[in-house]
Amino acid sequence: MPKTGHFILHSNVLPKLTAGHYELVSEQSGTPFDVAPERTHVTVAAPRYVMPTDQILSTFPPANAEGAFGDRLPQIVLKRRTLPWERNPAEQLQPSTTPWLALVVVAEGEAQLSAATPVAQCITSGTTLLEATEDKDVEQGLYLAVTETVVKKIFPCQQDLELLVHVREVDINDTELANGDDDGWLAVVLANRLPVFDIANAKPVRYMACLVNVEGQLAALPPPEPPDDHFTFELAQDWTVLASIDPHVGPDPRVMGGIDIGNIALPAAGGILGAQPPGTMAAAQATSALSRSPIVGTALDGAATMKETPAAQQWVSATEKVAKVALDPDAKRLVRDTMASGFRYPIELFAAEKVYRFPVLAHWSFTTNEGATFETLMQDLDVGLLGTIPEPAADAPPAPPGPEVVQTGHIGLDHRTRRGDPVRAWYRGPLVPFPTDRDPAGDGRPRLAHSADQIRRVVPDGREDLSLAAAFEIGRLLGLSQLSVVSALLRFRGEQFGAGRVREILSKFTAFKLPELVDQRIDLGRFVALEVIGDLVKNPADMLGPRRPVADPGRELVVKGDLDAVIADGLGFDLEAVRKIGQEVGILAAVTQAQVPIANREGQVQLDQRAIAGLRGALSAELNNVLGVAAPNAGRRATVPGAPRAARDARDALDALIERAAARDDADQEDA
Amino acid sequence: MERFVSAQIVLEATVAAAQDYTDLVVDHDPDDGDHVVPGELRRFLARLRLLHGVPFSYLVPDADLLPIESIRFFYIDRAWTDALVQGALSVGTITTADRAQLEAVYPKIRDDVDEAERTIRTPRGEERLQGAGGTITGFLMRSRVVSGWPNLHVRAYSRDVLDDDALTTAAEADPNRMKVLRLERLAPAVLLVLFDGVPAVIHIEEPRQGIQFGVRLNPADPPAQRHAKVKVRDNLTGDPVPPKETFTAGNSVDVPFRRGAPGVINLVELRKRLAAKAPNSGGALEANEYALQMLRFPYRQVFGDPDDLEGQKFFDLDKFKATISLTTWKATIAANVDKVKP
Repeated sequence: MPKTGHFILHSNVLPKLTAGHYELVSEQSGTPFDVAPERTHVTVAAPRYVMPTDQILSTFPPANAEGAFGDRLPQIVLKRRTLPWERNPAEQLQPSTTPWLALVVVAEGEAQLSAATPVAQCITSGTTLLEATEDKDVEQGLYLAVTETVVKKIFPCQQDLELLVHVREVDINDTELANGDDDGWLAVVLANRLPVFDIANAKPVRYMACLVNVEGQLAALPPPEPPDDHFTFELAQDWTVLASIDPHVGPDPRVMGGIDIGNIALPAAGGILGAQPPGTMAAAQATSALSRSPIVGTALDGAATMKETPAAQQWVSATEKVAKVALDPDAKRLVRDTMASGFRYPIELFAAEKVYRFPVLAHWSFTTNEGATFETLMQDLDVGLLGTIPEPAADAPPAPPGPEVVQTGHIGLDHRTRRGDPVRAWYRGPLVPFPTDRDPAGDGRPRLAHSADQIRRVVPDGREDLSLAAAFEIGRLLGLSQLSVVSALLRFRGEQFGAGRVREILSKFTAFKLPELVDQRIDLGRFVALEVIGDLVKNPADMLGPRRPVADPGRELVVKGDLDAVIADGLGFDLEAVRKIGQEVGILAAVTQAQVPIANREGQVQLDQRAIAGLRGALSAELNNVLGVAAPNAGRRATVPGAPRAARDARDALDALIERAAARDDADQEDA
Repeated sequence: MERFVSAQIVLEATVAAAQDYTDLVVDHDPDDGDHVVPGELRRFLARLRLLHGVPFSYLVPDADLLPIESIRFFYIDRAWTDALVQGALSVGTITTADRAQLEAVYPKIRDDVDEAERTIRTPRGEERLQGAGGTITGFLMRSRVVSGWPNLHVRAYSRDVLDDDALTTAAEADPNRMKVLRLERLAPAVLLVLFDGVPAVIHIEEPRQGIQFGVRLNPADPPAQRHAKVKVRDNLTGDPVPPKETFTAGNSVDVPFRRGAPGVINLVELRKRLAAKAPNSGGALEANEYALQMLRFPYRQVFGDPDDLEGQKFFDLDKFKATISLTTWKATIAANVDKVKP
């Protein structure tokens, strides 16, 4: 395998068998019994009407490109090295060094690319192919319809075919040469025509390159002729006039005749100068005989060239059209179709001479839009340093004065100051004609400006130099134009120094030494908390105050009067009676027997009218309170009758209960 | 020890923090290493340094500075691009503390961006550059070349390392090749290129779209009489026959065209003419030899000092030919080793 950047060229790589159906018969002899021969069928498949897209590695010029391709031969690179020799164009079984593929380059208006057509009709009628019905890779294909004149002018000769195809062997790791091929062997098919620029009219020319199948039609190819050392660009045959025919005329009148094609002159047959072989002459005579009895409307033979060719303007947007349809979901089909626009003139219907059909396996179009060569353009470039103006030639006509440019690269521009004074100021962009000093102060420490006004300068001639101030403003606006940048800047400032700032502030308030901030993350809050807790624990009396005793002393019980009388009074029984019985049965039994008054007996409720009135008053006050909050006006009226008015705002039993519960909670916690 | 927080304390703390803790790295990038400035910000500022987004009229203030069909070389004014970055950094600095902090950290930002601007454009297969760059130079080209030949190939060398028309891929990987920091078509016909350093030689080549075949059209011909030539190559080595610069009767042939056809080459005749002139052809050309003759390499325009022929000696690897067989050489080595052994 060749090294990266190198390649090896081979003339051809012939397969052992051409494409087709084969029968393999194996017979065995010399055995004492008969052995039936084994018959196996083998099919060698190869593309015939359509080139599978995975076999096309690259094309030059690139499809739909516009550029200066005038001095380069278009080419198509195929992945399988044997592809161009897998069929014998002379319709024989054995492989031949003459390839069956040719790359034909037609300019717009020279030929017709068909729509999808059954493959049997994709070839000139009367041509017989080997296994025409069995060996076909697709049902429908495209064909290129070209008049005999065009074939004679631009198709390669039979002898050329061999020279136009070669095999290239490259290193598969070489991205530029191998371009993603799998084995590093590539078959290259060259065209025989330079896609030149129309220098005379200074007009871009749109070309279509077609990879055609020349099987069975070698005889149609032009014979070798004595050469010329120069050429002129003109279309081999200009059928663009057909674009001016009313497109609404149906196909029937076109075929049957009788369309008024007006004053359009159709291109004449013939045109190849010099000696023609007798056969061609005869054909040409036959053609001219045909043209004398026109099949379409008026006379077909008009040798005059057309002045006005509306279709010729199609090139203007052809590239854009293709780029547009590439966005369509059905792009694969549409792109090919749109690239063929401009190559769809119905030449077959109008041509008076013989029209050949060649199956097209692949096609793409491109535009030559530049007549000059890279070399001349580069050599004619005006070379200089930016910020300098070329000296006008001595004999140049007096030109209006150019911009005010000085040797430092500064340019004088009109400047309107903030006060409105019209003055001139100096400006110099970032691109300067000589190396400049980055830090003019020279102390090595970069200076930072916070606003554009800081870097306005006044130069010795009294004018302001606004270069850096302008740069500052542009940078500020570019930064502001992207929200993500603004937020990144703010986040950067916050995050980068947040920890440092906190540490510095803390250090002013803490007695202990804070840790140094290094690479690993330090949780300052936790550090300070731990330090503070440590201090708290060490001397709690100073930090937190005196300790509380473990338990509270109990409350002193105060009893006024005789203890027995107080208890008996509290329980509601008769002390004297108990004492009297106690003398007989003992005090304990007497207490047991004593009758204690119970508020409610079982099964009956004694309502204390005073208590009910109090509860009702409390309920009414609470209701009013709630209603007063919910509906301030309505609440006034909804009072419960009989409730004391004073109770409305008084503290009620619930408040007292809550207060008691809260007080108890506090007490519990203190005890814990 | 202070009792309460005042503005004075905050300002002092901010300045102290900005001065003492700028080394605290916030951005840990597995590709880029650790940096003070976060990656997104660093890349934005670096792109700004390479003049991404700067309006063209600020680069070239007057059309006369970049006329039609011209190329203008320049140095980048670092003070200008620094001002650009400072403008972007000034966004959102409101308080004195913000500015004090920005001032303290600015040297770090500048160093980080110096480093980042060399990694903004890293084509596949090109190693990342470490460290900060120095001078940035470049050129603006306004020409039909830019629009007619998209994907121009631009290379710069710090020394004139090879012949202007040397056909070798080794020049791609030459250590003297300078990094292209930015290569962009600003308009259909305007190309901006920035180099990392000051090149001695700049090559601008036609785009390489695979290998091409073709002829040389004579641009001076009248439209009705166009001629073309093909240079003859040595059939064994593929080298063009000298002289390289000019077409002579000895080193080129006229391309024969088919009579009356627009630009169709008469291949049979061309093959005959090439076979007659090409050295070592043996009087006939195979298809591959014919392809070799028709090879067209991209045209290379070289900008540099034409008198500077210092050039380091450059050896084509493919010119190396073994003069001794491997087995013989092994035997020689073995014999010598035996002599040395005690």
